[in-house]
Amino acid sequence: MDARTIIESLTGKFPEAISEAGIESPIRIQAYVDKDKAKEVCQYLKDSLQFDHLCSVCGVDYPQRNELEAVYHIASYDHAVVLTLKARLPRDSPEIESIVPVYWNANWYERETYELYGIVFKNHPNLKPLVLPEEMLGEWPLRKDYEGFPNKTARNLV
Amino acid sequence: MEEMLESNEMIIHLGPQHPMQPGPFRLNLRLKGETVMDAEVELGYIHKGIEKILENKTYLQGITIVDRICYLVALTNEECFVGCAEKLLGIEPPARSQYIRVILEELSRLQSHLLGLGEFGEFIGFVSMFMYTIKEREEIVGLIDMVTGARVTHSYLRFGGVRDDLPAGFKEKTLPVLNNLKKVISDYEEMFQSDRIYRERTAGVGILTADVAKSLGVSGPALRATGVPFDIRKNEPYLVYKDLDFKVCTETAGDCAARVQVRLNEMRESIYILEQCFDQIPNGPLFPEGTPYGRRTPVMRVPAGEVFHRVEDPRGEMGMYMISDGTDKPYRVKVRGPYFPTLQALPPLIIGTTVADVAAISGSMDGCTSEADR
Repeated sequence: MDARTIIESLTGKFPEAISEAGIESPIRIQAYVDKDKAKEVCQYLKDSLQFDHLCSVCGVDYPQRNELEAVYHIASYDHAVVLTLKARLPRDSPEIESIVPVYWNANWYERETYELYGIVFKNHPNLKPLVLPEEMLGEWPLRKDYEGFPNKTARNLV
Repeated sequence: MEEMLESNEMIIHLGPQHPMQPGPFRLNLRLKGETVMDAEVELGYIHKGIEKILENKTYLQGITIVDRICYLVALTNEECFVGCAEKLLGIEPPARSQYIRVILEELSRLQSHLLGLGEFGEFIGFVSMFMYTIKEREEIVGLIDMVTGARVTHSYLRFGGVRDDLPAGFKEKTLPVLNNLKKVISDYEEMFQSDRIYRERTAGVGILTADVAKSLGVSGPALRATGVPFDIRKNEPYLVYKDLDFKVCTETAGDCAARVQVRLNEMRESIYILEQCFDQIPNGPLFPEGTPYGRRTPVMRVPAGEVFHRVEDPRGEMGMYMISDGTDKPYRVKVRGPYFPTLQALPPLIIGTTVADVAAISGSMDGCTSEADR
């Protein structure tokens, strides 16, 4: 399955939801997806285009545009094409549907993206911090305007 | 987990520091007798915030940071990071540098697999195995040290090349080590096959089928042990792997014994790759000629853009997603380590087994918690 076929199939099936689809190289394609359709698109990718392997889910912060992006890297065990699927989210209330029902291993990636960026994955089975302690929830340390975590241990001692 | 506890059940916490774990993470097990009814992994004990640190370091400084993701595979981490920047810069290292990188990365794979085998032996109570493999690993680490000047965190790769050439007499020192290793691998194999207790502890334990492994997102030896020939070196060749002859080692059983067998076979393939590299390595410059890139490129601006680059780590698929905004520091680096999804797949794999098997299954995954936490 080559990059052009995948792009054509994807834009043909979701003309409204998919935008700015492009081919970077024969094995790398990318597209923006409407945030309400992300899960549906993932389901289609998995069922019809052999994208059965979720590489990662991550967030990117763009304070100038007042946006966060949720970025999914979706690959396949059969072909070498990797799709970078991005969804634009408003920075003050970033919410997107969880894709755990489609890709089982999205669970931890979404938990991590949630604690680092504050992106809320709706209908996630267990949305709680993964690598950070509970008291750091709300700090969103990977956002660009994060200025460091106050040393709460020392404060408690005083 | 506590709420679900029935009267004849108990919870035990393995970790965060426990002899059967590759690094600090906590495994909460709900047990009924000896059977695991439920399991939950808690991460974060060794979280270093590497992705955030990388955003605040120049690209050259970043090389020293990615080493620390997992010290066992520092060279493949560097390869992934440097490979991302090279793709954005539009440069390619010259043939000699590419061969040197392959040589070091395969040596690194050998030492990682050797330590993995030793630790696995230790987890299932075969402590001598660790003594055997650590002795051979020391030879390999010595060879890497000879080239890079460091045993674990090498900072050896540079954008467009490598820091130093191979020292004189490196080939002559390496080939006897490899020949010895071939013999030793066969010894390990014989030892494993002839030991009845080892067979009972590993054969048929922790079985992953191909479909389940795929849906759990597993990669590397754990996936290849189920019969899926997925290897980034073949599927998406980087460096000179497309010119080298090697096969992707697979097994069909998908149990602990199969995962160990895949690693043993992969070590044989790595030795074969190394022998080819020593025969084929050309002379020439270490950095692309006519470019400013060298071992000391102090200030480097990377053109704006983004790239997702994957390499084959000893544990599976290592990927990095790098966004550059045209300055001398990356805007965002996402590290997609291979052990993260494998560790995530541990709870479904151990539910229904006994506590004793948890050590065997967890050990056969050859984990590195440092990389899962980052």
